[in-house]
Amino acid sequence: MRLCALTIAMLAFLASSCTLTDRSRSTCISCHADLEHVSPAHTNCVDCHGGDPQARDKEKSHASMRGSANPSSPEEWDKSCGKCHRYQLERVTSTIMQTNEGMIRNIQLTWEGADGKQYTTTGGKAFDPSGKPVESVPVEDLDNLSGELYRKFCSRCHIGSSNAESYGSAHASGCAACHFPWNDTATYEGSDKTMKGRAGHSATHAMTPLPDTQVCSRCHNRSGRIAFSYQGLYDGNNGLVPTSGGEGGPVMTSGARNLTHIAPDVHFSAGMECIDCHTSRDVMGDGFAYRNMYLQTEIACEDCHGGAAELPRYREITRENDEALRESRSYKQPVTSGMRMIQTAKGRNYSNVFYKDNTIWLQGKRSGKLHRSKVITGTPEHTVAGHGRLECYSCHSRTSVQCYGCHTRYDKGKSGMDFIKGEETAGAFSETEDYRMLYPFPLALNQRGRISPVTPGCQTFVTVAEADGSLSKSEYVSRFKGKQQLRFAPFYSHNSGKKALVCVECHGNPAFLGFGQHIVEGNSIKGTLICERSDSKPLDGFLTMQNGRVSAYSAITRENARPLSGAEVKRTLSVNLCLPCHDKARDPIYRKGINHRALDDTRHRRLLSGP
Amino acid sequence: MRWMILVIVGFCLALNLDAAAAHVGLPCGSCHRQGGSASDPAARSNRAAGCVVCHRGFERIFDHAMGQRSGEKSFVQRSYGRFDSGFWDKNCTSCHLKGCLDCHGEGGVKKPSVAACQVCHNGYYTGWDYSGRAPREDNMRYQRGIAVNGETFLKMLPDVHYSAGMTCGACHSMSSLAEGKKSSKGCRDCHMPDLKVLEHRIPAHLQRLECYACHSSWAPQEYGTFFLRFRDGRMKDDFDLKPGANAEYLRSAYLKKQDAPPLGINAAGRVSPIRPMFISYYTDIMRARNNGPENILLAAEWRAYFPHTVQRGGVTCEGCHDNPARFLLEPESRRIYNLEKDGMGLESFWLQRGQRVSNGSFMDAARYLRMSSKTPAYTKAYVEKWKNFLNRVENSSRP
Repeated sequence: MRLCALTIAMLAFLASSCTLTDRSRSTCISCHADLEHVSPAHTNCVDCHGGDPQARDKEKSHASMRGSANPSSPEEWDKSCGKCHRYQLERVTSTIMQTNEGMIRNIQLTWEGADGKQYTTTGGKAFDPSGKPVESVPVEDLDNLSGELYRKFCSRCHIGSSNAESYGSAHASGCAACHFPWNDTATYEGSDKTMKGRAGHSATHAMTPLPDTQVCSRCHNRSGRIAFSYQGLYDGNNGLVPTSGGEGGPVMTSGARNLTHIAPDVHFSAGMECIDCHTSRDVMGDGFAYRNMYLQTEIACEDCHGGAAELPRYREITRENDEALRESRSYKQPVTSGMRMIQTAKGRNYSNVFYKDNTIWLQGKRSGKLHRSKVITGTPEHTVAGHGRLECYSCHSRTSVQCYGCHTRYDKGKSGMDFIKGEETAGAFSETEDYRMLYPFPLALNQRGRISPVTPGCQTFVTVAEADGSLSKSEYVSRFKGKQQLRFAPFYSHNSGKKALVCVECHGNPAFLGFGQHIVEGNSIKGTLICERSDSKPLDGFLTMQNGRVSAYSAITRENARPLSGAEVKRTLSVNLCLPCHDKARDPIYRKGINHRALDDTRHRRLLSGP
Repeated sequence: MRWMILVIVGFCLALNLDAAAAHVGLPCGSCHRQGGSASDPAARSNRAAGCVVCHRGFERIFDHAMGQRSGEKSFVQRSYGRFDSGFWDKNCTSCHLKGCLDCHGEGGVKKPSVAACQVCHNGYYTGWDYSGRAPREDNMRYQRGIAVNGETFLKMLPDVHYSAGMTCGACHSMSSLAEGKKSSKGCRDCHMPDLKVLEHRIPAHLQRLECYACHSSWAPQEYGTFFLRFRDGRMKDDFDLKPGANAEYLRSAYLKKQDAPPLGINAAGRVSPIRPMFISYYTDIMRARNNGPENILLAAEWRAYFPHTVQRGGVTCEGCHDNPARFLLEPESRRIYNLEKDGMGLESFWLQRGQRVSNGSFMDAARYLRMSSKTPAYTKAYVEKWKNFLNRVENSSRP
């Protein structure tokens, strides 16, 4: 994956002319004699770092260095990494991980609402997915609570800024965020004695062309917490138990959170890492500026496993400039011309998934391990009538993290660090929460019109304390889609199991339909965990059923997404009439729409007329 | 049934007014001269001599559960007491019954309100749930919202009797408590199972189940109760947990839930809700930091009990008949929490192995297997149940 071979160096003390052939004359080498090489292709310190390799004085030698310790930081990346890796740089500047456009927009929708402008971390020109030029406004100019919340909270995980303070979440900015991984404490642990033990640096100076799961976990550990769920970790109730060596445990991570162990994702158990599914375009972008991560992501379960009726698609490598050839150069087994590469949902080639001997194989990009992909197309379990609208992970998610009640307080009398402006400004945010759970999880229609797990996204209750301590807003719920309501968001938890949920888990438990923890009373479904702001609305759901009438009181975010309708709820629950006898998905009655009138035929009447 | 509830509520209110009024006309000495104590005729120390002149026999309440707390003491003795002989005095005495006024002294001598009972019956203990309150998580991130007597809670669906205005005393009369009984009334003293309800027509349900096995809509459940001992208070700095009764300890939990409770068999041999009470762990922080043992599993005990969360409805059939985890028979393939990897000394909280019910037993696997088999009778009832429900569900929905 030479595309990732971005010439970055993390450490502040390398200087020019220190090629492999003239090391003895470079003061970079004389001070950093045992520093790891970035890669065999990156041999010259100055090309990346700048600086004066002839100067014997440290200050003088370092004076003209780029980006202090990190020449790959966004302020410098066009002069360092981007000088050689122009294609990658142009993609990274518009990737959602850099722009954070979706994150900023979602916060706006939670607080003051959208204002018609498009905000990104730095602003600037880009092209939207249709190729039209677009211009965004820097989030620094979003002068309200939404902008401030992003800048003071969420921007910590934007690849444009580094974070050396958060244990377990430390990362550099720019290309180094992924390609020069930091350890938990952001401390250099390599061989260079000059740098040993110094904070704010990558663990070593060797570049990681292919980031491992830990790298992704540095950021993807909040909100949906997908990197934790994938690895079988859960930052549930922050109970800090069981302890570990008398400290909070069993595993600690950023924000003084503890992690306990749950069943990991089946792919993780098989030894797969994040980048084995996610393409470089998922992560670094494809050059277009997407509004949300779900629009940038180009992969789907069906790519490798097939859909109900459609087999995975492949395309043979026939051109010498095929991306898969270039991208796989760092893999254990680079792909070659003539190989039949599986295509992503957007119709581009995977660089590590191929079709051979009537089998789909996925090569671990870092491990080289070959994984056989099971294709489910045409199997009876996956051709249940009515299930065509289900996302794979509706049934195959083992758990789905749900954080209920996010009570955000903004104190104007306190101050907090603005990580975008790089200064402390008036106003500080704090959060408290109600309850967190993993299972069961609600389902609703997502932006594709498919039924998907949803998770609170977000149930924000806003309190604003003025400088004199008075509350100008108290537990305020903002307007969304035209009315004051909380929100759930379609979500794939990345905690999938080989074994799917069984039929009765969803069909017999209205919690999966969005009713929350509940009891059934006559033809009403009553939630038992109730929102503080209303006696009639469950906190952990978005539907109620009163006297047979289904009502939705929370929104599902994203275009066209919505809770199940009354008819859909009824249809889902009607399957229970068949389930006691027909309890397997492969049962022939599920090949076509269920005919409930069959219950009145002679055979069923005889069966049901027993004692 | 509604009229009956109204009569009971009215009766309770009338009695309460009477109780306050009854003492107004009495000479002071009729209470304060008794028992040698002029200041507190209701004190436990003199067995409430001033009260029992009239309320004869009620001093016996001090001899029973609320006065003696022998069950709790015995639990502490066999668990935390093994490591700290002073554990009881440090953590468990805030609910010590000191006299009649603990309950009856709320703004004048009168019958206790629900709030008066909840001074002690709060948090994880039965009574707090009656008003629709479940304990919050112990980390300060979750300690938010309204607090009563310093105790925050998750807002839950209150018991139907509470919503109707009934106080605890409606079912837990003073004479029953003085006799050492848990209550003066059982469900069937007021309610006859309505045979129009399909579940009530299933003989096994009425014969083998407590009413509240189905009608308890939720129950607080604490899985893995930890007491962390801090011999040096400065060591608490990294534990942002709710301060406890004693400066030497902090309490936390591995997991809290408040959905429909697991089921087991109670002392009467009937199917009843059960909950952990307690799956207890102990860590002496100082010793643990010096390579000593930590997270010591002291007990894995459950209790059959009556959650005070009654509703007219209940769970659907599969909530019990297709839910082995609810009987602590969770199949390994459905396991979410990996307790072994966390060194918890149990395979799963929802597995009977290594655990016990202190006042009953778990349902054995063979019985569950019989219960969960789809017999013709079960299928018939199941289909009828869903048919009844679905026939009354409208296709349209309110936006």
